[in-house]
Amino acid sequence: MTQSNPMPSPASEAAAAAVKSESTNKNAPQGRPGRFSRPNYREIHRFPLPLSVHPLPPLIPHNPLSIVSVLLSYLTYLIAPPHHEVYSAYFDSETSSVHVTDAKAIRALWEMGFFGKGSLSRSEPSWLEREKKRRGLLGGVTSEEVTRQRRTERRELKLERARMEKLAIEQRLMAEAAAREAGDTSIDQSALPLTADGVTSGILPATEKFSLRKAREAKLSESQRSVAQMEGAYTPDAPDISPSNGSKTVRFSPVVQAKEFVSESTVVCAPNSAVDEHGMEDKPSLNNEEHLQLSNEEAFFLVYGLGALQIVDGKRNAVLSPPSLLSRFCQHSHCPPRDRSANLEPDDPFMISYIVYHHFRSLGWVVRSGVKFGVDYLLYNRGPVFSHAEFAVVVIPSFEHPYWSETEERKAHCTRRQARSWWWLHCVNRVQAQVKKSLVVCYVEVPPPMFGETNVSSEDIGALLARYTVREMLIRRWVPNRTRD
Amino acid sequence: MADTDEAAIHLPSHDSAAHIDTDLSDETQDFRMLSNLSFLADTSQATLPKRGEKDFEPNPTLYQADILDASRQAMHNALAHPRLHNPKNQIIGIYAPDGPAPPRSLATPKTLDTIAENDTPAHTADAEESQPKKPAGTGTNLHPDSCVYVMNPKGQFFKNMGRADRWGRIWLLPEEALYMLERGSLDVRWPRSATGCEDDGETEDSGIPMSLQAAYACFIGHGGLTVDRFSVYSGLRRLGYTLIRAPGWYDDAEEDFEQPESTKRQGPGLAGIYGRFMDWLHSSNTTAIGPVAGLGIHRSYNDIYRKLSIIPFHDPTAPVSQAPQTKPPFRVVFYVYKPSTPFRKSAPPAPDFRVAVVNARTQTTVPTLAQLGTLLESTPLDPPKGEKMERMLYMRLRHGYRNVVLAVVDQGVVSYLRVADAAFGNEKLYNRPAPSGNKRGANHRNPRPKPKPKGR
Repeated sequence: MTQSNPMPSPASEAAAAAVKSESTNKNAPQGRPGRFSRPNYREIHRFPLPLSVHPLPPLIPHNPLSIVSVLLSYLTYLIAPPHHEVYSAYFDSETSSVHVTDAKAIRALWEMGFFGKGSLSRSEPSWLEREKKRRGLLGGVTSEEVTRQRRTERRELKLERARMEKLAIEQRLMAEAAAREAGDTSIDQSALPLTADGVTSGILPATEKFSLRKAREAKLSESQRSVAQMEGAYTPDAPDISPSNGSKTVRFSPVVQAKEFVSESTVVCAPNSAVDEHGMEDKPSLNNEEHLQLSNEEAFFLVYGLGALQIVDGKRNAVLSPPSLLSRFCQHSHCPPRDRSANLEPDDPFMISYIVYHHFRSLGWVVRSGVKFGVDYLLYNRGPVFSHAEFAVVVIPSFEHPYWSETEERKAHCTRRQARSWWWLHCVNRVQAQVKKSLVVCYVEVPPPMFGETNVSSEDIGALLARYTVREMLIRRWVPNRTRD
Repeated sequence: MADTDEAAIHLPSHDSAAHIDTDLSDETQDFRMLSNLSFLADTSQATLPKRGEKDFEPNPTLYQADILDASRQAMHNALAHPRLHNPKNQIIGIYAPDGPAPPRSLATPKTLDTIAENDTPAHTADAEESQPKKPAGTGTNLHPDSCVYVMNPKGQFFKNMGRADRWGRIWLLPEEALYMLERGSLDVRWPRSATGCEDDGETEDSGIPMSLQAAYACFIGHGGLTVDRFSVYSGLRRLGYTLIRAPGWYDDAEEDFEQPESTKRQGPGLAGIYGRFMDWLHSSNTTAIGPVAGLGIHRSYNDIYRKLSIIPFHDPTAPVSQAPQTKPPFRVVFYVYKPSTPFRKSAPPAPDFRVAVVNARTQTTVPTLAQLGTLLESTPLDPPKGEKMERMLYMRLRHGYRNVVLAVVDQGVVSYLRVADAAFGNEKLYNRPAPSGNKRGANHRNPRPKPKPKGR
């Protein structure tokens, strides 16, 4: 709705302003000195999976030399087989998660296939880098800092806008009071460009509305003149806004302001504090406190699908085999974790989510958790550094096999597992539309349990997975107003 | 609405945070634009009204109060504007609670002994007693649920509404009659049989107009028309769409299921055989305990991906084996045509959209795969076509192979959802060459120069 509407709502205006601020940045580098250049992601992330490939030289039939080269390459691989890198991680049963602590493995898993998430970062494990920069050891800006700066600016601009609106209202109130004193309605009419139907022209005084864009432009020009002066001018302004009885009381709450100034002061004081800290930073005490956390689906895919990872039991220091890992993850997909002896059920949450993960990974998508958007997975083409995720996946199990409707108990169980309300769907759909993603409802057809064989470790995992079927439905809001042509 | 605004206007706002998240479309409209509406003043200049700027929070200025006042006045004027009906254009329909029947003048001789000398009207009368009939003369078939007939069909509504019988009367379905009655284009009269004055007369028209309440009472529930279906019908109709009933309207109806004869089962071919051979060659049995990708030397990433694809997926292009058994409410009840689609009542083209109507209060949960799957399989295969679709992966995926529109009616509020069978499994992303750009190169959507406001 907001797109087609010519009238920006506060939120969309803010968003537009944010967009604007980014685009203006490119044009006006003086606004933000030292805009960091993007790393060459194509080079860094040129391998889609943490496996190395060794393509054969091309075989050209009419060129006998090419046969020789092919044979030669075979021979080299035979004599000196290329080293197959297997990274290692450990499973922490208390938190039901898989951790990677080796720096090399962390880099490899992130760069080749975007697996895992830094435990102290937004996604890419960049805590060490950030910390170094914070202490002044390294130049440049991390993405987290860019975001923080953008948010601060946006908040400033919103405050500025609120202030301007407040000012306009006060001016108008004063004008109205003056008009009332004069006691003449004609003055009132002339002072305020409003008649009963004169407003329909839609032209309102310029002071009435204050756009973020304008504010930004104004601020830019101001900052060109003098940054320090502006800050000085801004700070004394702020207190006299907050106590007034205006409509924007929330935005002027002391908490917001405190935050504002805290973040500002850290930015401002960063160089100074860096100088102070330089003394103690001489001793290399900066350890990497961050580890890479893999989701259970990612970990199992790396172990079972790719063989690029081995997982050690955190307690016993024993490498877990894929079947035991599968049953471990299945037990831990319940809360609290199920007993060791519990049988593997076909509608185990881990099984269902792993099916979907493996399915999309095997098609070449980079699958990452969609918890920030209220969905199960996000699908990236090549990876999050290249483009925004286009698809957001929610997983719903499906129980079509007659086994599941044999008894009333099973029926109730299945209904409970697959029931989602319309309101839930509308919520998810709206959120995805807001962030311009397409909602994919991925149904997983759950097979009946295998009889006779209860022990999973003796079972064929591949055959187990092949019993499920996935089906994707794309759900989008249909707006009849727009499809009319 | 007015009361709350009045109350709020002189008070400082208590909670401005509550205003932030409201959708623009949910807010009180600025109705001042209504006084610009040209039809109120004169019909010569037809321009769309422009919406004025809007305040989001009340403030104590007189200025805002005046604007609000003007807006309210404009709304009042617009509502108070008299809408006149020219008696020459008045369309009068007569309610026929028993469904289509021949006119009185013809029906009466039927009961007499005129059958022998002229059996054509009797034939049709008999046929009309039973189900969908085909009057021999006209060749059109009347809908058995039609319950209002119009003697003097005039105006553009009858271009895509109603069916004519052989006596020149147009028979309207209950939803059509109710829609026209609601917008003031039709005047429905009670029949003589219902009013009790069963005296002789040429027509059934008793001259007693039917009220809107009576029309709702009579038509809703007549022939499967529910309030949900009617709100979908009238909502889309008002937007200019043309709607007709789909075969799935009736709960017991067998939907016509055309077996797609075009789906040719072609043999694997040489390439297919080669592919199978290669598959067999590659399928070393490593899926049992992994790694699925294999332990040996990998020649290319595409090989790895091919080995990894062990999860079966649904292929929507595969021919549907048997006729799907859709169950209400998950069945198509309306065929919807865009205003731009040329529509002929006698031969309706393939619909632009197929709509299933779901009541969110009786069917409280999202459809299961079985419900949605059979619903989609009851629609014809509509694969993504065209050069643009070929080029753009995301667009192709969004279009899907089959699609249907769910109208979820929650106590009168209709939300439409387009459901498409996406078949990600048919689109191997890894086969696509990497785009050239560093960032946003993979964006196959229409060029989106600006980054998105929210995170990735």
